[in-house]
Amino acid sequence: MASPPILSLALPSNTGRVLSIQSHTVQGYVGNKSAVFPLQLLGYDVDPINSVQFSNHTGYPTFKGQVLNGQQLLDLIEGLEANNLLYYTHLLTGYIGSVSFLKSVLEVVDKLRSINPNLTYVCDPVMGDEGKLYVPEDLVSVYREKVVPVASMLTPNQFEAELLTKLRIGSETDGRKACKILHAAGPSKVVITSINIDGNLLLIGSHQKDKKQAPEQFKIVIPRIPAYFTGTGDLMTALLLGWSNKYPDNLDKAAELAVSSLQALLQRTLNAYTSAGFDSKSSSLEIRLIQSQDDIRQPKLTFKAHKYS
Amino acid sequence: MASPPILSLALPSNTGRVLSIQSHTVQGYVGNKSAVFPLQLLGYDVDPINSVQFSNHTGYPTFKGQVLNGQQLLDLVEGLEANNLLYYTHLLTGYIGSVSFLKSVLEVVDKLRSINPNLTYVCDPVMGDEGKLYVPEDLVSVYREKVVPVASMLTPNQFEAELLTKLRIGSETDGRKACNILHAAGPSKVVITSINIDGNLLLIGSHQKDKEQAPEQFKIVIPRIPAYFTGTGDLMTALLLGWSNKYPDNLDKAAELAVSSLQALLQRTLNDYTSAGFDSKSSSLEIRLIQSQDDIRQPKLTFKAHKYT
Repeated sequence: MASPPILSLALPSNTGRVLSIQSHTVQGYVGNKSAVFPLQLLGYDVDPINSVQFSNHTGYPTFKGQVLNGQQLLDLIEGLEANNLLYYTHLLTGYIGSVSFLKSVLEVVDKLRSINPNLTYVCDPVMGDEGKLYVPEDLVSVYREKVVPVASMLTPNQFEAELLTKLRIGSETDGRKACKILHAAGPSKVVITSINIDGNLLLIGSHQKDKKQAPEQFKIVIPRIPAYFTGTGDLMTALLLGWSNKYPDNLDKAAELAVSSLQALLQRTLNAYTSAGFDSKSSSLEIRLIQSQDDIRQPKLTFKAHKYS
Repeated sequence: MASPPILSLALPSNTGRVLSIQSHTVQGYVGNKSAVFPLQLLGYDVDPINSVQFSNHTGYPTFKGQVLNGQQLLDLVEGLEANNLLYYTHLLTGYIGSVSFLKSVLEVVDKLRSINPNLTYVCDPVMGDEGKLYVPEDLVSVYREKVVPVASMLTPNQFEAELLTKLRIGSETDGRKACNILHAAGPSKVVITSINIDGNLLLIGSHQKDKEQAPEQFKIVIPRIPAYFTGTGDLMTALLLGWSNKYPDNLDKAAELAVSSLQALLQRTLNDYTSAGFDSKSSSLEIRLIQSQDDIRQPKLTFKAHKYT
């Protein structure tokens, strides 16, 4: 019996086939629960490898579940390979909890690229936030020395960008410089997803279209929302993958669409908790992902990128 | 810190919060890969427990991955319970591979109903098709004696309905009688999703609104499509859950919407394989789930239920 073709590759489309290696929580929206649905809404076939299966995310008072080890990850890859199912257009990774698993992920990158040399690896180098590391410290050098060089697009936050470049980011100039350091190390696309400068929140994006030219860089000013949410980083990276693939030469436009979607979702989430009578400052909130699907599929462009000249 | 409310329960909506215990395949659309996205499109918050994580479904020449055992399932439920996250409006189950796991699922039903006595348990009693059993034989009596009595809605195919009722189904009258037998055993809603009578394919649905009254029954004539697909049963049950919750007193309308969505998806899938130059009869096909999302969200009603008088 002939094997059927993989239609997401055989038929023309402006989307693709994404392997997404992230956590799975039964309840709530983080990791693959936050990243897969939006990409599906944008038309992508997504193949999720769940690196853990937990009842809920680890910010709750308690959680239970199972963790995948590096060998089990490679077993799944082997199963896909044996069926000629390893041609992906994109690889997406987020939170990774151990050096051994991160090293297995690096093996996966190599394997996928040996099958599709044009694989786009979108890497969210999740290490910490607001000055605090929340992964084992030994992951930092592995990200810096092994992962960044093989990433196509990198989406660090301010703290992660500082760890990877060893540069303190206290101004827009610093942020732009950090992007250039990262370009030189590997990825042609870098989005520092939130930078706190003098009390304002910014996103800084950078696309080096040609190694010999200066990158095209831009910023988007983001509102401060008086609440903590979980899963927003994972969602943001998925949206950046989804839109930057549709606008490959316009990272600024892709970022505008991603930010517009995310901000609409955050506003909806905040409003929903408020109408349920909950004080949104008193705890971190699960995002209203399902209820925001129209904002993800067809965002109203409410944020503008300002190109640096 | 106060725990935030579960918004899918705290705010008014015509959807709900579904616990879905099914397989996960990295690639392809069966089990939770087939059921979760459609329910999310219909506005449901879905909490998937993945009973396995395989590279691909077991119809491929080979597969690799990991299986959850009954204790690990109960661990996840324990984690949810410890965080007061066990109030569900719906439970959804499909393929289950062992008696021990099925018994653990029965414990989960009890546990969920102790928290929400109005839980709707939608059960697809997956055992086989076209006269062939593809689960261990000892599951049949467990389904018949333990699971059917606690199901709210049952979606067997013809073979499964025959196994559960010990009745041969060779006519529409037989099909309707099988539904009556199943109502008496437990579920108030029964949909026999495909029955082959004299070369025609039918769906027969039955809703017993009141134990003292005869059920309202209907049929929908379904076209024969010259191809084999995987994941369609899982998709159908998910669509029936999604639409029957929105039209709780009109199972016929819910079935019309579900069938219309599924048939549009199957046609698109067939057309796509054909335009990719593939002979669709030569192998079973993965469904074009992502590409059919508009047909799932807003189906054109192309199939009509004929009520039996």
